[in-house]
Parts: sequence; C-alpha cells; structure tokens
Amino acid sequence: MIDNGLLVQMLIGALLGVSVYLPLAAGQLSLATPAFYAVGGTLAALLSTTWPALGADADGSFPLASFLLELLLGGLLAGVLALLVGRLVLRLQGIYLAIATIALVEIVRVAILNLPFTGGAIGIFGIPQPFPTAVGYLLPALGLLALAGWVCQRLEVMPLGRAMAAIRNDELAASCMGIDTTRVKLTAFVLSAVLAGSTGALAAHFLNTWNARQGSFDTAVTMLAFVILGGSRSWLGPVLGGLLLTALPELLRPVGDGRLVLFGLVILLGPSVFPQGLITPGLLERLGRLGERAEREPQP
Amino acid sequence: MTMPPLLEVQDLTCHFGGLVALDRVSFAVQPGEIFGLIGPNGAGKTTLFNLISGVTTPTAGAVLWRGAPITGLPPHRLNRLGLARTFQNLRLFDGMTVLENLLVALQRRPRSGALAGLLASNSHHQAERQRQETAWQLLEELALGNLAEREAGTLAYGDRRRLEMARALATGPELLLLDEPAAGLNPSEKDDLCQLIVALRQRHQLTLMIIEHHVPLLMRLCDRMAVLDFGVRIALGSPEQVRRDPMVIEAYLGTGGAAP
Amino acid sequence: MIEALLQTLLNGAASGGVYALVALGYTLVFSVLGVINFALGALFSLGGYLTYLLMGGPISANGGLPGWGLPFGLPFPLALLLGAALTGIASLGVERLAFAPLRRRNAEPLLYLITSLGAGLVLVNLLQMLMGAEGYAFPATALAGLPDAVVLGGARIRSVQVLLLAVCAAAVIALTLWLERSRSGRALKAVAEDATTARLLGINSDAMLRLAFLLSGALAGLGGGLIGVSISLPGPYVGIGYGLKGLAVLVLGGLGSVPGAIAGGLLMGLAEALVPGEASGWRDALAFAILFAVLLLRPTGLLGRRLLEKV
Repeated sequence: MIDNGLLVQMLIGALLGVSVYLPLAAGQLSLATPAFYAVGGTLAALLSTTWPALGADADGSFPLASFLLELLLGGLLAGVLALLVGRLVLRLQGIYLAIATIALVEIVRVAILNLPFTGGAIGIFGIPQPFPTAVGYLLPALGLLALAGWVCQRLEVMPLGRAMAAIRNDELAASCMGIDTTRVKLTAFVLSAVLAGSTGALAAHFLNTWNARQGSFDTAVTMLAFVILGGSRSWLGPVLGGLLLTALPELLRPVGDGRLVLFGLVILLGPSVFPQGLITPGLLERLGRLGERAEREPQP
Repeated sequence: MTMPPLLEVQDLTCHFGGLVALDRVSFAVQPGEIFGLIGPNGAGKTTLFNLISGVTTPTAGAVLWRGAPITGLPPHRLNRLGLARTFQNLRLFDGMTVLENLLVALQRRPRSGALAGLLASNSHHQAERQRQETAWQLLEELALGNLAEREAGTLAYGDRRRLEMARALATGPELLLLDEPAAGLNPSEKDDLCQLIVALRQRHQLTLMIIEHHVPLLMRLCDRMAVLDFGVRIALGSPEQVRRDPMVIEAYLGTGGAAP
Repeated sequence: MIEALLQTLLNGAASGGVYALVALGYTLVFSVLGVINFALGALFSLGGYLTYLLMGGPISANGGLPGWGLPFGLPFPLALLLGAALTGIASLGVERLAFAPLRRRNAEPLLYLITSLGAGLVLVNLLQMLMGAEGYAFPATALAGLPDAVVLGGARIRSVQVLLLAVCAAAVIALTLWLERSRSGRALKAVAEDATTARLLGINSDAMLRLAFLLSGALAGLGGGLIGVSISLPGPYVGIGYGLKGLAVLVLGGLGSVPGAIAGGLLMGLAEALVPGEASGWRDALAFAILFAVLLLRPTGLLGRRLLEKV
C-alpha cells in the first residue's frame, strides 16, 4: 500500500536519482551521491540531537525553522566536501572516476562508522521530528524536488547546461570550443552533492534514526538504476525511476520473501527491455512538441 | 617595428614513447594568410595541430601567439585567445541539434551568468537572443539553415563537415585550423569548399591553417605551405616553390604517391 | 617480534590472495568484454554456500528447514573444487541472462553495470531466501587431518591461512600458465587484445567470452569457499564486501592486467594486515584510501596501460 510514509521515501528516491543524474548530464559517471547523502544526514542527526540551541524538545519535537536550517547546512557541508574532493577526482575518466567515487563512498561510510561521536554501528537515534506524522514531510520533500527540477529545467536553456551536454557528447571537442570542462564538471558535481546532502538531512529526521549504512555502495548502484531505467536524457527520468523503484520493493511485499528477488529481476532485465530508460529521448521530443502546440493553440 | 607573426612554432618536438612524431619543426604564420600543411601519411600533421591547439603537450619546443608563449595551455584557454580548430574525424556533439552545436560554441559571445540564467533574468534573455542571432547568421552562411533543429548525428556527411566548420567559426577565432576539410568530398564539393574558405577569410578576418591530402586544392588556396615528412619540415614557401622542391618530390614519389 | 610480524604478513598474504582471486575474476571478463561484472561479489557468496552445502553442512533457512543438509558430505578439497565449478556455471547463467541480451543490441557500457547489479541482487536474495540470513560456520571436519597450526620460522601460523595462501597461489599459477601456454588460454588473450583480428584468425570470441565468465565465476566461488572455511559465512552479503575490495584491487593493479591484479591483491592484503588492532574498524577504509591515492597519482592504476585517445 502506498501510504504517506512510502510517498516520502519515494520522493527521497527521486531526489537521490536527480543527484546521480546531474554529474551524468555532464558525462561524469559519479557514484558519490550516497557519500554526500550520508554526510548531510549525519550532520542533521548530530546537530538536532546535540545542539540545544536548535530547540529540540524533550517530547521529540523540533522547530520547523531549525529543520529548514539543517536542510541548508546539510547541503552546504556536502557541497564544500564536493568542492574539495571534486577537483581531484574529476581528473579521472570513465570507469576510473566511477570507482574512485565508490571508494569515496566506502571511506565516508567507514569514517562515520568509526568516528566516536556518530554512534558507531547503531548510529544516532531519537532524532527529533519537525512534523508529528509522515504527511508533514511531503511538503519539504516536494519543495526540494521542485527546486531541483527547476534548476535542471533551467539548465537546459542556459550556457552552463549546454556546456554540460557538450561535455557529455565529446569532452575534448567541448574543451576546444572554449569550455572550461573542469569547472563545468565540478559545478555539476557540487550541485549533485548539495542536493544529496539536503536530502540526507531530510531523511535523517524522517527516518528518526541514522547510521553508516545509509550511505553504501549498493545504494549507489541502486540510485544509478533509477537514472538508467528511468531515462538518462532528462531529469524527469531519474524522478520516475526513483519513484517507481523505491515503491517497488514495498508494493511487492505481498509476494513475501521472494520480493527482493523480483526487484533484482526488474533491474536485471530493465536495460534489455528499456535500453533508453522509460523516459526516452523520443518521448521527450513528443512531450516537447505537445508543449509547443499547447502554447500556440488559442485558449478557450 | 614589425608585428610578430600570429602563430609561431619553434623547434616543436613530440615523442610518443619511442616514436618521434615531430622533430624540431619551426615556422610562422602571418595574420591574414592561408597557410597549408602537407605531407605523406604519418608525417605528423595532425600531431602538429594537436600541439598547437593544446590537445597534446610537446616534448620540447614552443608555440607562440603574437610573440607570447602559449605552449602547454589547455585547449579552452587557447580557444579564448582566438584559436579554433576542426577535427579530421569530426567531433560534433552528435546528440545535440545543429543549432545547439553552435550555441555551445557561442557560450562566450556574449557571456551570461549562471545566476541570471537560473532566474531567467532580462540579461540572460538578451544574451540568448544575441547568441541565437549569431547562430542563425552562421547557419545561413554555411547553408545549414534548414537543418537547425536536426540532430547533428543524423546529418549527411557534407553537412556534418560544414557544421564542424560553422561550430569552430562560432567561437569567434582569429586563427582557424582546418584538419582535412576536403576529405570525402567530390570535385565539385571541393570547389565549393575553396570558395567558401576564401569567403570566410574575408568576411571573418581569419587567418587559416589547413591540413590536406588533396594537394592541388591547397596549391590553389594557400599563400604559403610547409611540408612535413617523418616529423621533419622539409620545405617551406609559396606553393610554386614547394612544388619544385626536390625533397618534396622525393618524399611523395618515394612513398609511391604522385608528385604534388 | 619477528614471529608476530611473520604471522601478520602471512595473514595479509592469505587474504591478499583471496582479493587477487576476485580481482582476476573481474580481469578475465573485463579484458574480453571491456565491462565490469558487478555480479561477481554475489558469485563469491554463492561459492561459499555451495562449498558448505557440499560438505553436508546443515542449513536452516530462517527456521524454515531446520537441520536440512545434503545426504552426503564431500571432503573439503572436493567440495571446494566442485563448489567453484558450480559457481562457474552459475556465472555462465549470469552471462546468458544479463549480458547476452545487451550484447545483441550493442548496448552502452553503463547498461551492463546495471544489469549485472540486478543479477547480483537476484543471486544474493535467492541465497537469502533459501539459506536464511544467519551465519554458517563450516563443519569442524573440514580441515580434519591438518594440524591446528604450523610453526614456520618460529612463528605459529594457523594452518588454514597457509592453506588459503597455497590454494590461491596454485589457482593464480594455474591461471597464468593456462593463459600463456595453452591454446584456449592464448585464444582468450587474443580476443582480449583485439577481438576483430581474433575472429579473423578463426577464434570463436563468443566461446572465449563464455570461457572467461566460467573461469571468472569459478575463481570467485573458490574465494568464497576459502573464506568460508577460514573465517565463516556471516551471511549472503559476505561476497559484496569482497567484491568491492576486489574491484579496488582490480583498479589498483590496472584494469585488464593479470600481474597487476595479483600484485594489487597482495599489496592490499598486506596493507590491511599491518593495520594495528586498535584501528581495525578503519581497516575496510584502508583499501579504498589506497585506491583513491593511487588513482590520483596514476589514473590508470599501478600496471595499467595509459589509455591513448585517438584524435
């Protein structure tokens, strides 16, 4: 059943999908999103449980303003980390970049696991709630998604977005046309990290507990599946992929123990059945033409 | 005081592992001229272009732009200085439309900020309009107007070649490097190309450097030429001088090709 | 002190050997297909469980089938080899189901990543369904006949570690010899170097690909059985960790390089073993920190070939 809690989780999946999509849109296969997600979540978990100034109540409630602040700070911290690491990592090409980002995810995971103040394997629990029920999280999650979508949509008609697409098509040629490819790739990387960090902060509160397992390699590749199966040509693809693939294991619960096997089958067979993902370039084109026609047609 | 040449290479050398691709090549290109580069296969012509355009770094030697060293600068910096190139194997942005290919190259003409773009401000729209205008002008000039919305990857070969040139032109260069622009063109297309290059030079105040296999084309077109063989410059001068140079004749006859 | 060091080094070499096996598994498929088989970690787990089952070990499947086991129990060496072979066959299944459909359509490399992940997920969750999520320790009879520990140069080494090292070394040597000396091995290398020319020379590159998958799975399965007997099987996800570390070793040693995979594995194992006990929690990060550092200095790994792009 799709209840509010699942909806929020689906939205989180969509957000993380967009986060993985952004570097890919610039031709960079970065799987670093879980690392930034973990960083944002850990920061939010720590701040809300150990910094009284934020106003966590004894009954477990939490001021909305502090929550929003944490979303901001989570994104910021992730962004700074991405800025530091990105310059080094984005010099790598193709599969090497992917593996370097996997390495980053693992390093962050182990660091969070072993640092004295992050709660070890159990993690941090009792994270205060800005909303009494799950439905309260829908608005911030949708808001974050709308913001991310708006940025992605604007990028399509901006020099920065075109530069990203150019690099994705042919990095060398892009460079020869005057594009500072390092800067553009870094921008995409940082944007991706900021989104992941904010999402992590949101998720930490929503999930009420947070531990190192939140950001791990298998989540990285699952998020990549959101993008590839959803369609990697537009940000709508990872949104759809994130929504569907996050819902799927839950919807399959009636099947029982075999549901994760079915889930795995979907990911196994997906690329053969939908090699361009669900939201294909052809579909985008048709949607684009529909949009143009709607603009031209006189309104009744 | 005389103006320094627009581009000068001094003792440019390039080793790939044990292979010497270029061996102390030197020459200068004057503003406004059409400079040709010929030589048998493997002579190092494309390597030279790669060195000049920053794609590869030389093992030794220098590249100068108006007398100032630019050796080792990355391609995007060189492009911003005024140097643009096409590729022998065509490196179009195949997944983007013809128009978008040009818009990418017009990023900085004029520039518009990321924040302005995100907020869809007036300055962004103004800059966009200007970029679109310039793009359409170039498309018309290179007979690509009716293909603007087509994906670059779907174009016919001749159109792809012209798009590659249009895109390089869109970056607003002073020096344009053309790598085998006539490859795969039939004689009448080659004629059109010649006329186009001359027209472009005049209209855009260009200096051109052209690599070509089809030597007669360059003989007609170029003011001066350099000849490479096995990475060494074996001749430099006007087309007439080069045609009569015994070393050049030997280089071409020696490899079984016709004398230029 | 020397004994402790020797002990540490040998432990490191033993686990390094297992990493090398996994890395070699990746290398075989990568050198022929140019993509990384992300199902290898799951195959590692499968090998461990198969070896356990073949030795007659009882499973419980989350209480579903308490105490069920195969009606026979093979001696460990046989179980190990058979387990590895069966894992190789499973790997062929992964190739048929996941990779072959994509190859028919000339899919882009990214899709193989996703589909092999899916295959890995299916395998691991099947294992979980059938065997349960609890850990299994190999029957004590596994190493019957071997002394608990041997004394080498004054140091007491667990004999299972020596066994590990010996088996890994044997496997690696056998693989290298096969690649260099045998017809099919050299054919595989040919396909890895240049598939088109190999085909022109009459080599069936499809068959070579399947062979690569078979061997790759067998190596991973071997690793799983070895880890199972030397430590235990903590759960179906055990292979994921080794799969990741093997990936780190693969890139460390240089993609597609067999000696690189071996050297990288040993290096990784030794480095981990040298981490003092107090910081053991950080051990898992060490492999990736090393990888990270190496990639920043030498983007193509220690022994990898520089990728020359044709302009």
